Amino acid sequence: MKRFPSMKTVLLCGFAAALVAISIPANPHPSAHRLTGAIATIGNGTDNAANGQTPTQPTNNSTGRPPGATGGQNNTTPPGATGEQNSTTPPGATGGQNSTTPGAGSANNNNSASIGQGTGRAPHGPASWGYTQRKTAELRVRVIDGRSRQPISNAEVVVIETEQRLRTDANGYTPWFSAPVFRNPRYRPMVAELHGQLGVIVYKNGYRDSIHLGIRMHEGIRQQTTVWMYKIGPGDRRIEPVLYQEPYHHIWLIQLADKFRQKSQIGEGPERP
Amino acid sequence: MSTRTAKVAVALSVAGTSVAALTVGAMPQAKAQQQTIWNTSVPSVMRVAIRENNPSGEPDPRGRIIYVQSVPFLEYCEDVLPNEWFPSWNPESLKAGAMAIKMFAWYHHLHPVTIDGFTFDVDNTTNFQHFRYLSAQPTTNAAFDAIQNQAYADNGGQIIELNYRAGIENDPNWQYRNAQKMAQWGSQYWAERGQTFQQILQFYYVNRSLYRIQ
Repeated sequence: MKRFPSMKTVLLCGFAAALVAISIPANPHPSAHRLTGAIATIGNGTDNAANGQTPTQPTNNSTGRPPGATGGQNNTTPPGATGEQNSTTPPGATGGQNSTTPGAGSANNNNSASIGQGTGRAPHGPASWGYTQRKTAELRVRVIDGRSRQPISNAEVVVIETEQRLRTDANGYTPWFSAPVFRNPRYRPMVAELHGQLGVIVYKNGYRDSIHLGIRMHEGIRQQTTVWMYKIGPGDRRIEPVLYQEPYHHIWLIQLADKFRQKSQIGEGPERP
Repeated sequence: MSTRTAKVAVALSVAGTSVAALTVGAMPQAKAQQQTIWNTSVPSVMRVAIRENNPSGEPDPRGRIIYVQSVPFLEYCEDVLPNEWFPSWNPESLKAGAMAIKMFAWYHHLHPVTIDGFTFDVDNTTNFQHFRYLSAQPTTNAAFDAIQNQAYADNGGQIIELNYRAGIENDPNWQYRNAQKMAQWGSQYWAERGQTFQQILQFYYVNRSLYRIQ
């Protein structure tokens, strides 16, 4: 009786299986897209917090920790003390100053370890989405009285994401400072956000606190925003913060709607210019 | 003067008045079609109808008009451009957008509307142009500075509405040229390829010219 499978068939199959096993790489191809790092990384302890000073002047880092860090006071150096080694400054940074000096128009001020950095190659995959590299832009905030439209001086402006604290001058402006450009990563796989968003809180004695969210942030340019504050009157019994939510740019909203529109659903767009 | 002479004089004056009225009545129609950069000046103030917000806090294009805000013309334009174009876009794209916004506002200042008892030039929604008070940005203000003494009108100098739409990204948006509207994405597309704002305007709007104004 003839055996089935034959010895020859078994050997051939074994050889083929060995070939398949050998062809599977032990390490993934270096150019393959990796999802590691898809979560936005925020700068490490060298995060630049220009504490009320112009970004061209390296300042003592009073908030030198990632915004996500929790617990305790973030400032181990007394405010105003200069020239001392900040406890959060990593080895290698000199003179107790930030390791980064953002200049005007520096779009990619990268403080964090991320994919593609330092290799001299353009980042690809998630790194090219703009979430793994810390990006900054120049920002200033103007604070005005919501009724009289007059500038409010000496108001304290706090950037929520970085805990930077700044003061307004006589014209109601903060100095230009370096602020991060954060895009919400939840939208990226569908359609890239065309601008980042930032939030500030403004405090001033005699006024309601103002929370201003959704400030549009673009890399590489100078931007400004205006925060309105409202005086506390004698008839105000319940005093709570005032919220202003800046909307998304409508160009991006159009893109978002176009992204998921069925072919059969005719909307505003190139079909009806 | 006798009574008879006085009656003739009155009749002549009435006739003359009616002739003058006819002349005046006929003239505005001819004039209204010829509002050019030569016989009108740049508006000083825009009357902006502020519509109520929807529950999410966004101005509602179908919402009621709450009040009409008078805004200086340049300030109005500067508070529109960052909300219609991206402040980070190419400066030539921003200049093209600035010109479209300026001429759109100029045209509607010459053609105000009355709705629900409010007379205004434009409203603050995308019915006209997206206006957010005090939202000007340095880059967009620079675009208006660059086109400060320029206007874009038809070849006879007549002020016409320069319309624009979003268009699609990374595309010249030829279909918008056919519709005589500028594509906002298209302006950025051409600017990234080295086109000046005059070339961008000429691509989307045909038979129109750039003029220097005072």
